[in-house]
Amino acid sequence: MAAIVSLSDVIKTYRLGTVEVPALRGVSLDVHAGDFISIAGPSGSGKTTLLNLIGCVDTATSGTVLVDGNDTRHLSDRKLTDLRLNTLGFIFQSFNLVSVLSVFQNVEFPLLLQRRLSKSERRDRVMSLLEQVGLASHVDHRPNELSGGQRQRVAVARALVTQPQIVLADEPTANLDSVTGNNIIDLMKELNEKNGTTFIFSTHDAKVMSHANVVIKLADGKIVDGVAPGSVPLKSVAEVH
Amino acid sequence: MGGHLRILIRIALRNLFATKLNLIIGGIILVGTLLVVVGGALLDSMDQSMSRSIIGSVAGNIQVYSAKSKDELALYGAMGSEADLAAIDDFSKLKAALEMVPNVKTVVPMGINAALITSGNTVDIALEKMRDLVRQKLEGRASPDLEARYQSQKEYIRQILRVLQSDLKKREVLVTAKAIEPENLAALDRAASNAFWNGFDRDPLNSLEFLENKIAPQSSDADLIYLRYMGTDLDEFQKSFDRIEIVDGRAVPSGHRGFLFAKFFYENQLKLKAARRLDRIKKTVVDQGKLIVTSTGRGGQPSEAEHLLKQNQAQTQEIILQLDKIKSEQAIERLQRELGSTEKDLDTLLKHFFDMNDQNFTRRFNFFYEQLAPLLELYRIRVGDVLTIKAFTRSGYVQSVNVPVYGTFQFKGMEDAALAGSLNLMDLVSFRDLFGYLSADKIEEVNNLKKLAGAEAIDRSRAEEELFGTARKVVAEATPGLIDEGKESNASLRALRREELLRRVYSKDEMDNGVMLNAAVILKDPAKIKQTMKEIESLSEREKFNLKVVSWQTAAGLIGQFVSLAKLALYIAVFIIFIVALVIINNAMMMATMQRVHEIGTMRAIGAQRSFVLGLVLTEIIVLGLVFGATGAAIGTGVVKWLGRVGIAAPNDWFYFFFSGPRLHPWLTAANLIAAFVIVLLVSAISTLYPAFLATRVAPVRAMQAEE
Repeated sequence: MAAIVSLSDVIKTYRLGTVEVPALRGVSLDVHAGDFISIAGPSGSGKTTLLNLIGCVDTATSGTVLVDGNDTRHLSDRKLTDLRLNTLGFIFQSFNLVSVLSVFQNVEFPLLLQRRLSKSERRDRVMSLLEQVGLASHVDHRPNELSGGQRQRVAVARALVTQPQIVLADEPTANLDSVTGNNIIDLMKELNEKNGTTFIFSTHDAKVMSHANVVIKLADGKIVDGVAPGSVPLKSVAEVH
Repeated sequence: MGGHLRILIRIALRNLFATKLNLIIGGIILVGTLLVVVGGALLDSMDQSMSRSIIGSVAGNIQVYSAKSKDELALYGAMGSEADLAAIDDFSKLKAALEMVPNVKTVVPMGINAALITSGNTVDIALEKMRDLVRQKLEGRASPDLEARYQSQKEYIRQILRVLQSDLKKREVLVTAKAIEPENLAALDRAASNAFWNGFDRDPLNSLEFLENKIAPQSSDADLIYLRYMGTDLDEFQKSFDRIEIVDGRAVPSGHRGFLFAKFFYENQLKLKAARRLDRIKKTVVDQGKLIVTSTGRGGQPSEAEHLLKQNQAQTQEIILQLDKIKSEQAIERLQRELGSTEKDLDTLLKHFFDMNDQNFTRRFNFFYEQLAPLLELYRIRVGDVLTIKAFTRSGYVQSVNVPVYGTFQFKGMEDAALAGSLNLMDLVSFRDLFGYLSADKIEEVNNLKKLAGAEAIDRSRAEEELFGTARKVVAEATPGLIDEGKESNASLRALRREELLRRVYSKDEMDNGVMLNAAVILKDPAKIKQTMKEIESLSEREKFNLKVVSWQTAAGLIGQFVSLAKLALYIAVFIIFIVALVIINNAMMMATMQRVHEIGTMRAIGAQRSFVLGLVLTEIIVLGLVFGATGAAIGTGVVKWLGRVGIAAPNDWFYFFFSGPRLHPWLTAANLIAAFVIVLLVSAISTLYPAFLATRVAPVRAMQAEE
């Protein structure tokens, strides 16, 4: 089965003034459809950078990043944006909802950008997702009227509303208490199992990690280990070179 | 971007009051729109009012004058002097041609000139009357009535001399004796002496000459008055300019020579100064609600009214000189009663009378007009007088014309407008006389003289033969007595001729057949002015009239440009305000963009294109502009409506003209509102271009970074 995301020898270096700061120092990784992958590591290990590269919001300094078969380095901004809109979904650490829009409108937003569905189709899609995340009764609320967990559920719904192949979540539980955080991970897991959506999320919380079928440990910009919790052999899920 | 409009507008509307920055930007847009709406409405209203003033008073819609003119036509006067216009010789031909143009209603001939007239001082007037009485006596028309008037006038002149003498004595105290000509003092002493008056009856003519030459110049109450007048076909003028109305007297009868004073000019230049000052005080006190006494207790500057009262107290002489013995006694008696005083000196009584305050002003004002004014000549030139105007003709010699004053006029709605009220009206024939062009009367006079002198027209080509050829007889021997010099210079004959001229009625043809300087063209449809001007221009070219065709605005000279200048000033002000607004809005939008980097980054990350972000920022500013602009326009409309109801008082006489009345009631047009909106939206959009561009450059990766 072809990898939906494939990284080979990816190096990413940031420039801070005259100093070059290496964030990733040669990472190779394959992700397959239906994976539920956690990227773990201490802060500064390159988790976010790795997610940004996969999420097409950043490009590698060298090496190749293939997302759904597209080499992101050779795509225009417009193409990258389309890829993010149609193939990827995002869940952010600080939820990143549009504060002036209601729960419904926030979830509907990517669909409006896509301009593919009719109004009633959009409505059905949004409502079914809000039901799945348990917020069907909150459609008209504004984000600031919701708790952190509820907001993150809205974000999950928004990430999934376009039925993307891959959902990326950068520390989705960092701003939540552990119970709520676990609930969010459970929700993601549920959606992963039900819809087959690929999830890649970063975390430094060991408990959260344990839900993943694959945990990729990063340190100093390199993968130190690919661990499969339980008995699932690592290689079968994500091939770490 | 188009398909996203709904979501963009939704976000923009919800963001409207979300931040302080938006409120600042909105406030600027609101104030800006308010300014453009109110300022634009004011200027447009003023423009229309002024055009009514100009078109309805003298200019008409279009003015034509000779293209050979040295200056440009300036109906309200140019700087310093009158415009030098070349004359158009045959008005009737021009009129006939112009009236062929379909949109032309009428053509009114005009010519503006100015002269300095001297109002004659009180002594001059008294002496002239005396001379008249003396002449009657010498002609042997003695009667008891004449004798009584003669004696009374004598007494009056002696009274004047006493006033002048005491005046001079007072001055002696104030200035060093050297400053006063000893010759003047001696002349006055001699004139006031009993010896002089005892000898007056014996040699009245020489005595009068002495008084005229030595005493009259010492009285300082004569004025040189700058008189602007327009010669025109008065019938046609009154028909075409319907805003004119006669105030005093009556209109000049059709075809007659005659003069009409502008009421404003008449009141402000020819009225007794004391009365004029009282009128002005009344205006400030009654019309403007100011107090006369402001300085007492506050130690500030004396008010204008106090200043005027001081002048009245200091310059009682102009009143005293007008009163002969009987009238003086009447005035003293009335003043004593009014003031409850036993004072016998008129000067002191008047000074006391003019010491007015807020309590007694209205009473004394009325007393002045009811009790004192009937004893006085309130105006230096009265309706019914014959006015002598001396003016320099084109060829440089001085020409003098007598015209009877029939009355005063004003333009409705512009009663107090200084600009419209300083141009007096004169019949066309007198104007032509003064201007130095030969009228039919003059030609006839010259022909008579020629005949009398035996002059004959000589053909230039045969001049030599005619003049020196032997074939011709001597036309006339230089016979003494052929020209009766005595007859020509006889005063009574001249007076007779004058009378005859004043009575003469001129036909319309005589009026039209002659020169004029410019002409007002009144249109049937004023809106088609541009087209009609073109038609007249091509007509002028075709018929070789060599005309200059100008709109009323141009014809009004600087005044016509006033509103254009004011508009320019407003636009410059608006421009500056909007440059400032542009900078502020630009900065505010930059800050707003910075604040929203996280949100914009998120949108980009979840799939919004750059064009969407551009649309987001532009939609927000346009919605902001529309909402706050509409609010500003609504408030502005309210302000203009309110001003339209209460009106704006003209701050001074000049503005009466621009306001076409004492108050301007501005109104609003759709154009004002549209202009305001276009300007505001344009400025908003332009000021947001750079922030919007910056917003499109926000990287999607910013969404991943923690919010600050």
